[in-house]
Amino acid sequence: MAEHPNGTFQVPLWRAIAIFRFASMAYVVAMVAINVTDYAHPIGAIPALTVIVGWSVAATYLYARPAWRGWPLLGTDLAVTLVLLLASPWVVGRTAIDHGIPSLAVAWEACPVLAWAVSGGRRRGAIAAVVVGAADVTVRPNLTPASNTGLMLMLLAGVAVGHVARLAAESEQRLQRAVELEAATRERERLARGIHDSVLQVLAMVQRRGAHLDGEAAELARLAGEQEAALRALVGGRAPRQRAGPEVDLRAILDGYASASVSIAAPATPVKLPATVAREIGAAVGAALDNVARHGGSDVRAWVLLEEEAGTVTVSVRDDGPGIPAGRLAQAAEEGRLGVAQSIRGRIADLGGSVEIISAPGEGTEVELRLRVTE
Amino acid sequence: MVVDDHPMWRQGVARDLAEAGYDVVATTGEGAQAVRIAPAASPDVVVLDLQLPDISGVEVIRGLLAALPGVRVLMLSASGEEQSVLDAVKAGATGYLVKSAGPEEFLEAVRRTAAGDAVFTPGLAGLVLGEYRRLAKGGDPAEDDATPQLTDRETEVLRLVAKGLSYKQIAARLTLSHRTVQNHVQNTLGKLQLHNRVELTRYAIERGLDSPD
Repeated sequence: MAEHPNGTFQVPLWRAIAIFRFASMAYVVAMVAINVTDYAHPIGAIPALTVIVGWSVAATYLYARPAWRGWPLLGTDLAVTLVLLLASPWVVGRTAIDHGIPSLAVAWEACPVLAWAVSGGRRRGAIAAVVVGAADVTVRPNLTPASNTGLMLMLLAGVAVGHVARLAAESEQRLQRAVELEAATRERERLARGIHDSVLQVLAMVQRRGAHLDGEAAELARLAGEQEAALRALVGGRAPRQRAGPEVDLRAILDGYASASVSIAAPATPVKLPATVAREIGAAVGAALDNVARHGGSDVRAWVLLEEEAGTVTVSVRDDGPGIPAGRLAQAAEEGRLGVAQSIRGRIADLGGSVEIISAPGEGTEVELRLRVTE
Repeated sequence: MVVDDHPMWRQGVARDLAEAGYDVVATTGEGAQAVRIAPAASPDVVVLDLQLPDISGVEVIRGLLAALPGVRVLMLSASGEEQSVLDAVKAGATGYLVKSAGPEEFLEAVRRTAAGDAVFTPGLAGLVLGEYRRLAKGGDPAEDDATPQLTDRETEVLRLVAKGLSYKQIAARLTLSHRTVQNHVQNTLGKLQLHNRVELTRYAIERGLDSPD
């Protein structure tokens, strides 16, 4: 139950308990002063009042330190109250109690219940209320409607305060997470701006100027270009995907494939799809691009176009590679090599979409995935 | 005129342009300054980095076009700035190139922008297609006739541009002339820009920002 270590939201609750403790202490002192003449053993009232006043001060002092709000303090608090309650029959006298003279703890006995509730939620509040209530019942010779109501109210207070304390702790955690996330996002944006203004510009510059040159210099320029694209994708990525959410932006998934040789064209507005569907489409596009890289060689470029129109999402992957000779795909399937066509068609067919592969030698290959999405 | 906040880039681009025989009339790193000096420098083409430290690319383009109607704007930008590129195009930029493009590609883009052609990247074509579809979908029925629409041929051409085909390849595939392909692409931009101006005017009138005389 140590899930709210700092608990700034609970500070007002602890303060309220401290105030209640002193107010009820004053009430007890007043009750004792009024009724002491009717007590069976009035001499016992002196140590009892000393304990009440002393413990009120000590408990307030100790509870004010978050580190001290552990089991020893909570246990002692409850024990002190129980001792006072159980001492009541002897000090006050059973007949006096039966005549309506309050016990030594009266309202003060609710303090540990509230402390337990604030420290540990509803359940702890209820447990403390039941323990104190049981002790209260044992010292009374007869139960009256008034005493029953008092006990029920104490139980209610324990549960309600515990509930509020738990809510406060949860809100605080949530707020803290939001603050941390915001700070992380802002830091990431700051880094992205910094990198954009310096490193990326220089890398792009190296690539640009080196493109004229031959040999090693051109190779360096090419590497600089690749790094520039990679770094840009890293710092310029869209906001982190919400993993738990039911829908994701397909653009964010496709953006992951962008590189110096792969261009991604997409609308400026999100293309929202159920997460599983988007992942499958992403995997199919990935398979198509892998195939381009495998068969086309390093200087083949590829273009991915994402469109959404009238409830249909279309993703086209085109390359300017050598193309697939007619009948090659059918031949591969006959030979039992399922490869790219199978992987892509299978995935999209499972989603209820269609795949078209258009290719001619020397004209590159175009794979078009179509999927109806309900809006 | 070259507008880019990074001095190294600015100089590199200016040098490339000068070597290619262009007259670089001004360079600056601030959008507001670019708008201010544009009338005096009177450039034919402005090479503009969309990410400037002071004002947005859209504001620069509006300012430039107000100061110098007819000036051509070629935007340079990093990838991953979709909405700002689209806004800039709607504001009146006619060319777009990613910063990682090579010098030949860049000079070709400047040459074509100067000649009044629209310079598209596949990415921009994808954005423009998406924008038309967004307008078609979210179209207020009352302003149906005001919502710009692509003809089937224009859609076809834009899709091919987005898939990385050159105008020449598109012309060959659709058996059109190179010029016709260019005109189709240009029209797609022109309609968006006109729509944007109409929208701005309507907004101004609704808000009472127009002068009644």
